[in-house]
Amino acid sequence: MGLEFLQRVRKSSVWAGAVVALLIARYVTPIDGLAVALGVAWSLVNLSLIQLMVVALTGPDRREVPGLRRALLASAGMAGLFAVGAVLLVKLPPQSLLWGFMVPLAVIVLKAGSLLLLGTRGWKRFIGDPRRAAGILVAVGLAVWAASPLWVGAQEHGAPAASTAPESPAGEHGAATREHGTPSEHGEATSAHGEESGPQKFPNVITVVSRAFPNAEWAHFLHQFEAVIFSALVALLVILVCWLATRNAALIPRPLQNAVEYLVETLNDFILGILGPKHGPRYVPFLGTLFIYILAMNLFGLIPFMDSPTSSLNVTVALALVVFAYSQFIGIKELGIVGYLDHLAGSPRTPISWMLVPLMLPIHIMGELAKPISLSCRLFGNVFGEDMLLVAFVTLGITTLSFMHSPIGLPLQLPFLFLALLTGTLQALVFTVLSTIYFLLMLPHDDHGHEGDAQHAH
Amino acid sequence: MDFHAALGWGLPVGIGLAAIGSGIGLGGIGNGAMQAIGRQPEATGKIQLAMIIIAALAEALTIYAFVTMFILSPRI
Repeated sequence: MGLEFLQRVRKSSVWAGAVVALLIARYVTPIDGLAVALGVAWSLVNLSLIQLMVVALTGPDRREVPGLRRALLASAGMAGLFAVGAVLLVKLPPQSLLWGFMVPLAVIVLKAGSLLLLGTRGWKRFIGDPRRAAGILVAVGLAVWAASPLWVGAQEHGAPAASTAPESPAGEHGAATREHGTPSEHGEATSAHGEESGPQKFPNVITVVSRAFPNAEWAHFLHQFEAVIFSALVALLVILVCWLATRNAALIPRPLQNAVEYLVETLNDFILGILGPKHGPRYVPFLGTLFIYILAMNLFGLIPFMDSPTSSLNVTVALALVVFAYSQFIGIKELGIVGYLDHLAGSPRTPISWMLVPLMLPIHIMGELAKPISLSCRLFGNVFGEDMLLVAFVTLGITTLSFMHSPIGLPLQLPFLFLALLTGTLQALVFTVLSTIYFLLMLPHDDHGHEGDAQHAH
Repeated sequence: MDFHAALGWGLPVGIGLAAIGSGIGLGGIGNGAMQAIGRQPEATGKIQLAMIIIAALAEALTIYAFVTMFILSPRI
């Protein structure tokens, strides 16, 4: 018991609250789910502030300045927390907020109850014989199994409106069939999200919030700029990691610094191996950042309630346009205007190749223009396709268990999560390597070739 | 055959054809790379890099078909 007990309570409450909020957001209304999640968060912050205050007031340094300061800070935090709670009570359904608030308390009661139960004689007799324990568990499970159709049936008879009540237009499940099947029932809901055509992705934080407030202006704004917000979030995350890793750079690195240094060094060697030691170092920062950023964006979608920004065509087109513009700029800068045009014309030196210029020039220009299209479509298609694959298998997992009205499905998507890890890494690598090669094609070829030969001779 | 039926037939068949094509291409790439690695095991790194790039280029064709399918599939 004590602080360690509270720590465990906090951990279980986070999990329990997340699951309950998810189920409510899916099966009741999204706004209720949001309210439950916020209620749990509020209650957890409240508990930890109380704990902080109690520790500060009863600890050994309660007469000293730091202890008093901590107690004051905690009480100021409580005041702010209650102000936030008042705002939440006005904005969100109070009943769901209250249920969310109760979750950590229920966890405390259950945990304390189970601690009491562990000492009793009945529990010792129950776990004394593994066969008897297993038998009792199986019997209880069978009884619940036998009773569950009755319970579900009673619920459906008692509240026939409950099955049509959810107004969320699409969870991860059955979205397409519902849109086609019953347009009249959900006409109101679908008209609010009428602009969302095409396949549905997993819900993320922003879609949940924007469905909870279907009429608010800011929620609509958030939903429209989803990809931008998530990519900015990823960028901030990458910046934060780099800042943490290089804050106290030491000769004997800590694990984080070590990992980042290893990554940077590998990327450096890799890109220098392609571009050569003369031109390479100037472009390593850009290309390495590209790799790290795209990798982080690809893998960001595997975090629950987050979305890969690269599964939106806008982000990948932006990245590819940056690479395109930079490679043209490199071409003009390194070769000069004349050299650049000469390169586009296929470097004519002999009369025959001069005659071929009218043919070569359009081909080269079209090749240059095709590069950003293929870069962006490849990245988008792979990441988006992976997302769709996961959605399809989650849907399959839910429909396999739907005959028993189970709120959760079989985790059929598990193997494909590992495939998503592989694809995300590989596509980030491919994007970087292709950009590097586009740069290489723009750099002066001759002296690179000589240096390469010199390297081989060594 | 109206527009919707044509799309309903054409999209899956188109994806399948694209997959056949890039499957043949990927098989050829893998075949060449494996043979090259077998001949020159010390050049494995360079060969694998080139193999991954060319494999990505070949795979991209199926991805284009896939993206087209996703763009057109709401119209079925």
